[in-house]
Amino acid sequence: MRGIMDAKIGLFCLLMIGASFLLTSCGSKVDPNKITTELLPVTDNPLVHFRVLIKIGSANDPSGKEGLCQLAWNMLADGGTRLMSIKEITEKFYPMAAGVSVSMDKEMAAFSGTVHKDNLDKYYAIFKNMLLDPGFREDDFNRLRTNQTNFIEKSLTSNMDEPFGKEILNLMLHDGHPYGHHEAGTVESVKGLTLEDVKAFYKEQFVQGNIIIGLAGGYPADLPARIEVDFKRLPESFTPRLSLPPAPAPQGIEVVIADKPSPATAISLGFPVTLTKADKDFFALWIAGSHFGEHRQSVSHLFQKIREERGQNYGDYAYIEHFVQGRDKFPAPNHARQQQYFSIWIRPLANANRHFVIRQALRELKKLVDEGISEDRFQLVRTYLLNYTKLYAQTLGERLGWQMDSHYYGYQDFLAEAQSVLPRLTRDDVNRAIKKYLNFENICLAVITQDAEGLKNDLVSNTPSPVKYANPDMPRAVLDEDTVIQEYPLAVRLEKIKTAPAAEFFQRAGLPGK
Amino acid sequence: MAKIFALVLSAVLLFSLPLKSQTTKVFPFDYKIEELENGLKVVSVPLSNPNIISYYTIVRSGSRNEVEPGKSGFAHFFEHMMFKGTKQVPKAAYDDFLSRLGAGTNGFTTDDFTCYFVVFAGRENLEKVVRTEADRFINLVYSEDVIKTEAPVIEGEYYASVSNPDRRLSELLRDTAFEKHSYKHTTLGFLKDIQDMPNQHEYSLLYKKRFYAPDNSILLVAGDFDHAQLLTLVKKYYSGWEKSNYSLQTPVEPPQTQLKRAHYPWPTKTMPRLAVAFHGPAYSDEVIDKAALDLLAEVSFSPSSPLYQRLVNEEQKCLSLGAGFNDTRDPSLLIFNAVLKNEEDLPYVEGEILKELEKVKTEPAPAQKLADIKSNTKYSLAGALGTTDGVAGTLAFYINLAADPGTVNKLFGLYDRVTPRDILDIAKKYFKPANCTIVTLAGGKAK
Repeated sequence: MRGIMDAKIGLFCLLMIGASFLLTSCGSKVDPNKITTELLPVTDNPLVHFRVLIKIGSANDPSGKEGLCQLAWNMLADGGTRLMSIKEITEKFYPMAAGVSVSMDKEMAAFSGTVHKDNLDKYYAIFKNMLLDPGFREDDFNRLRTNQTNFIEKSLTSNMDEPFGKEILNLMLHDGHPYGHHEAGTVESVKGLTLEDVKAFYKEQFVQGNIIIGLAGGYPADLPARIEVDFKRLPESFTPRLSLPPAPAPQGIEVVIADKPSPATAISLGFPVTLTKADKDFFALWIAGSHFGEHRQSVSHLFQKIREERGQNYGDYAYIEHFVQGRDKFPAPNHARQQQYFSIWIRPLANANRHFVIRQALRELKKLVDEGISEDRFQLVRTYLLNYTKLYAQTLGERLGWQMDSHYYGYQDFLAEAQSVLPRLTRDDVNRAIKKYLNFENICLAVITQDAEGLKNDLVSNTPSPVKYANPDMPRAVLDEDTVIQEYPLAVRLEKIKTAPAAEFFQRAGLPGK
Repeated sequence: MAKIFALVLSAVLLFSLPLKSQTTKVFPFDYKIEELENGLKVVSVPLSNPNIISYYTIVRSGSRNEVEPGKSGFAHFFEHMMFKGTKQVPKAAYDDFLSRLGAGTNGFTTDDFTCYFVVFAGRENLEKVVRTEADRFINLVYSEDVIKTEAPVIEGEYYASVSNPDRRLSELLRDTAFEKHSYKHTTLGFLKDIQDMPNQHEYSLLYKKRFYAPDNSILLVAGDFDHAQLLTLVKKYYSGWEKSNYSLQTPVEPPQTQLKRAHYPWPTKTMPRLAVAFHGPAYSDEVIDKAALDLLAEVSFSPSSPLYQRLVNEEQKCLSLGAGFNDTRDPSLLIFNAVLKNEEDLPYVEGEILKELEKVKTEPAPAQKLADIKSNTKYSLAGALGTTDGVAGTLAFYINLAADPGTVNKLFGLYDRVTPRDILDIAKKYFKPANCTIVTLAGGKAK
C-alpha cells in the first residue's frame, strides 16, 4: 500500500511540478534557506486557492513582546500594501468576492484566499503585494493593535467564556514555555508594541526558508513559476524550528478559577501529552480520544454521560491534540505543533452543578485510564473514524491544508495513512496507548464561574455535591451512579487553587490570582 | 441574502463556465422536484463529486410557528427531541447507526424551519439512510421522562451563549421591534419558556402532529446518487407518513407608529453594540423590494462602502459595521449593526448610520458600484456551491422559502434588474423614523 502511494506521489511530482519546484515529500533535498511549494492542481476546477504557510507563530514572539507575531501577520492580511491602502484593496477584492485571511497558531500561520479563475491575475497581483510589499502604515497599525487589545480586554475575558476557559488552560499547561501566552498576547505587551517592532519582525521572519507556498485548484501551469520568481525577492534565510522544552507536568490537580458574574460555569481540563500525529501511537490514542469525546458528535462517551443521560449542558468533548474547528465540525488544518496536550471541554452548565460535573468528568477519565475501551466500543469508534475522516478534506483549502500538515508530520497523506493503519489496530493497542499517555491524577482544571471562593472551598473540602434534576423519575441506574459521583473524592490541595477576577487575566504575562 | 455575502470562496467547484457570461442561471446544477401523494416534496440534485451525499430533511416549522404564549423556543426544543429514537430504532441504536456511518450529522433551527442533515460517504449507504431517517420522522417516540431530561440541555445551550453580548442584543432587538409576530423571540426562546419545557410533554405531541408531517416537509438530497433510485427508496419508506393538513395562522405585525429604543447594560467590560432596524418585506423572488434592499445594504454598509471605510478604517470608531436582512417567510427586520470601540461614540455612529439611510433616498447608487455588487453576489454564490454540502446547505434556506432551487436563479434575475432608481424608491418606502427601532448594549450594571 505504502509503495503504491509513494509511486503515485512521485508521478504527481513529475507531472505537476516545474523543474525548479520540488516538494519535500518527493524526497528531494531542499535548501532550508529557500521557499518550498505545495501544489494541488485540479485542472477542471474554476477556483484557485492560495495558502501561504509561514512556519512562524506566537511561540516565536520575543519575550516581552507577546502578540507581536499576530499583529505583524494581521498587518499583512488586513493592512495596506505600499502602493494600495486597505480601502483600495477592499474595493478591488469586492467584485471578486475574494479576500485574504490569516489563521494563527503557536508555530505557524496560514494566509489564505480563494478566487474564481476569471479574476486570478487581478487577485494575485494584490495578494502577492500584501505579503511581499506591505505598507506598514501607522493608521493600520493603530487600528489593528487597538483591535488586539480590545479583543483581550473586552471580548475574551468577558464575552466568550468557553474560549476563555480554554485559553486559561493553555496558560496553565505552558507556564514558562514558548506556548505559554495567547496568540494575541497580553494587554500590557500589545500596548508596548511599536510599528518598528512589526517591521523588524517581518524583516527577520518573513524570509524564504520559513515559507511554504500552497496552490490548489484550476490554476494555469505557469503560475507556480511566476509565484516563485515573485517570492524569491524575499531574503534567503530561515528560522530554525524552535527547540521546545517539555511542557511542565501538572503536579496533582491544579486549579485556576476566573471569577465573574454569570449563571453558568465553563470548564476545561487537560495535561500535556508526549505525542503528536508524527508518532505511531497517535492512531491508537486517536481512537481513545474519539471514543471518550469526539468533537460535537454523539459518539462521544462524555457527551452521552453528561448531556444525554443527565441533561447537564449542551455537550462534553475530549481531544488528544490542540483542536480548532474548521468547516462544519471538522478539524481545521494548519495548526500543527511539535507538542500537544490532552483536554476535556465541558460546555457551560448551571453553577449549582459545577462541582458535580467536575467530579464526573474526572471520574470518567479515571475509568478510561483504569478500564480502557471495551471491544464493542473499539470496533464502533474505529469504524466511525474510518468513515468520518472521509469527510474531512472537501474544499480546496481543506485538501491543500491537510496535504501541508501531512508533510509537516512526515506522511505522504495522513488521511490515507489513517485508512491504512486504523484497520490494523487492536483494542489492546488502544488500551496500551491510554495507559501510556493519559492519566487522571495530574491535571489542570480551568473554571470560569461566579463565587470562585465557594467552588474553591467545595473542591478542597470534598463537599458532597448532589444534583437536582427537572425529571423526578430519572433512571435508577443514573441515580445510583450519581450517589457515587457526588462523593467522588478529588485530591485538590488548597495551595493548588488560584482564583482571580476574570478581568485580571491576560493583562500581563502569567496567571493572576492568589 | 446576507448569508451569501458572508460566504467565503473556498471550494471544489463543479462547474466551470466563466461567471461573467452568466446573467441568470447562477444555480447551475440540474435538479428534480417530485411530490409524493402525502405531500412530501423531494428535491434531488445529483452531482459529480464522488462518494459524498448530503441528505437534508427540512421541516417548515421554526420559531415563526411558536405563536402561542409560553411556547417560544419550542421548534428548537423539538429539534432536540428528534434524536430520541423510535420503537424500531431506539435512541442508542440510532446513535450507533450514525457512528458506524461516520456521518456528519446534526440539526439546526431558524426563524422559519428546522433542518436535519446527514452527510455521509458511500452511495451504498443511501438506502440505510433513507430507511432510518424515514423511520425517525414517522415513528418518533419518547416518554415524558425523556423530555424532562432533555429540557435542561436547552437551558445548557442558552448558557453556552450567555456570555455573548450579540445574543443578548438580538433578543432585545426582536423583543422591542415586534409586538405580535413570533419573530419577537429568538429560536432559543425566552428563558422563562425554556425553563418550563420539562412540563411540555403533552404540547410536544400536539406540535409533532401539526408540523412534523409530509405536507410540511421537504427532502433535499445532493451528491453522488441516482435520482431514480432515490425516488424509489423515498416512496418505499416515506409513503406511510400521514398528512397533517394543519394550517398555521401567524399573527400579523401591526405597522409601527413611532421610533422605539432600548438599551442593555452589560455587566462586564465589552465592546459596545448598536443595532438600527426597520420593519421590511418578506422574501420574494418576484417583487423587487427585498432584492433592492439587499443591494442597498451592500452599497452603503459592505466593507467596500465609503461609510464602512470611514468608520472602521479611517476614524476607527468601529470594529465592524454591517447590514443583515434575513430571507424570511413573513416580513422581518432590516438590521444595520455596528460594534464600537468606545461607548461615548454610540450617538455619533448611530447618527452616521441614519444619515447614510437618508442619503440613499436622494443620491442614486453609482452604476459601477451596483455592477460590483452584482458581481460579488455571483462569485460568492459560486463559492458557496463548491462542495456537495455547500450546495445542500445553501439550498436548504431557499427551499424553505420556495420549495424550488429555481428560486435562486429568479432571485439573482431580480438582482440584475435592480436599478439605482429602485434603490431610491425602496429607501423612501422603508426607512421612516416611525418604522425604526434602535437598541444598544454597553458595559454597565445588569438589571
